[in-house]
Amino acid sequence: MNLASYRKKSPWILHYNAGGCNGCDIEILACLGPKYDIERFGMINTGNPKQSDILLVTGPVTKRSRERLVEIYAQMPEPKVVVSCGACACTGGVFRGMYNCEGGVDQYIPVDVYVCGCGTRPEQIIDGVVQALGILEQKTKAMEVSVRLQKEPLKEEGQINRRNIADQIKPALS
Amino acid sequence: MNDLLIPVLLILLAPLIGGLVYGFERIIKARMQRRIGPPLLQPFYDFLKLADKRKMIVHSAHAFLGIMHFVSLWFALAVLLLGGDLILVIFLHLLSTSLIILAGYSTRSIFSHLGANRTAISILAYEPVLIIIAVSIFMLTGSFDASAAFNWDQPLLYKMPLAFIALLLVLPIKLKKSPFDVAEAHQEVTGGVEIEFSGIFFEAVYTAKWLDYVFCYTLVFLFAGNNILLGIGLMVFTFFYLNALDNSSARVNYKQMLRFSLTVSFSLAFINLLINIFT
Repeated sequence: MNLASYRKKSPWILHYNAGGCNGCDIEILACLGPKYDIERFGMINTGNPKQSDILLVTGPVTKRSRERLVEIYAQMPEPKVVVSCGACACTGGVFRGMYNCEGGVDQYIPVDVYVCGCGTRPEQIIDGVVQALGILEQKTKAMEVSVRLQKEPLKEEGQINRRNIADQIKPALS
Repeated sequence: MNDLLIPVLLILLAPLIGGLVYGFERIIKARMQRRIGPPLLQPFYDFLKLADKRKMIVHSAHAFLGIMHFVSLWFALAVLLLGGDLILVIFLHLLSTSLIILAGYSTRSIFSHLGANRTAISILAYEPVLIIIAVSIFMLTGSFDASAAFNWDQPLLYKMPLAFIALLLVLPIKLKKSPFDVAEAHQEVTGGVEIEFSGIFFEAVYTAKWLDYVFCYTLVFLFAGNNILLGIGLMVFTFFYLNALDNSSARVNYKQMLRFSLTVSFSLAFINLLINIFT
C-alpha cells in the first residue's frame, strides 16, 4: 500500500499571520465557509503545527514574528509544504523596504507555492493549495530546515529563550 | 456461542465502526451548515496519512500514555459490550481518561496543561451522573451487570426516562461537543491534551475518539433493554440530537458547565434513582 497517496486526501492546514493586515486571513477563513467549503477535500484548519501538513503564511514577516514563524515551521513534522498567501507574504508587498520587515516569507523558510493578490481570492488560495498537494505527494520524510535563523536557542537562568535570535544573526537589520 | 459472537465482532470492529460514525457525523454536520462535507471515509484517510508522517515525540512516557489511553479505552468498551459490571466499566473509562490527563501534564506546553485541567473538570461533571445512572439500573434490574440490562424484558427507558435525559445532557461533555467542549476547545486551547501528540502517536488519541463514540452509543443502547429496534432508534435520535446541539450552540465556560451538570443533570438522575427505589 502506498501511503504517500493518502497525503493528498487529508491535508491539514496551519494558518499563521506574520504581521499582515488580516485581509488574506479573512479570505482563508472564507474558504472554510459554506461557499467554498474546502473541508470537502478533507482539509481541516488545525491550528496545531504538530499535526498539520500545509503552512499557510500571510503578511510580510515582521521582526516580531520571524522567530515565531521559524519556530512554527520547525515544529511541523515532515512531509510539509509552505504556501505564502498574498502579495506581502510573497515579496513584502506595500511593506517592502520598510524598517520593520524584510520582504517576504522566503527570506526565512523555504516556500513551495506563491499565491499572489492583495488580498488573495479564495479561488486562488484553493488553487495554490491544490498545487501544494502535488508537491506534498512527492516530498520525502527527510528533515527540512529553515534557510536562515539557524541558531541554538539561548539559555537564560535555566529558561530557553528564543527571542531576538534573528537580531544576533543579522545585526545589520536590527 | 451466538451470544458471544456479536459482542466479540463488535469489539474487534469497534475502531472501524467508530471511524464510520465519525465520518458520517462530519458529513451530517456539514450538511447542517449547508456545506458538502468530506467523504465518508475521511477519518481513515486521515489515519493513513498520519501513519506516514515523520515520528516526533516530546518524550517516551508521553507517547506511551497516549497509546495506553487508547488501549484502556478499548478494554473498557470490551467489558461493556461483553456485559460486564457497569461500575467497573465506568471506572475503566475513568482510568483511560486519567491516563490522557497524565500525558497532558507530562509536557511543558501550557495548552497541554490547560487541556488536562479542563479534562479533569469535565470528569467531575459527567462521572457522578453516570454512576447514579448505573445505580438506578441496579435498583431496577437487581444487578450491576450490563448484560442484565441488555436482557431485561422491557426497555429501561420506560422505567427511567429522567436518567435518559440526564445521560443526554452529559454525553456532549463526554464526546467533547458544543456547548460543553471546554476540554477540547479548538479555538482556545487547540485540542487541549492532544496538542503535543503528532504523527503516528496522535493516531492513538485520534482513534480513541472513535472508540468513545462506540462507547457512548452503547450506553444509549443500554436503555432499550432487549428491544433492538428501539435501541437503534435511540442511537439515531442521540446522533442527530448531538450534532444539532453541536452546530447550534456556543461554548460555555467550565464553571457554567460544572454548575449545569451538577445541578440539572445530577438532580435529574438522582430524582430518577429515588423514583426507582420507592416504586
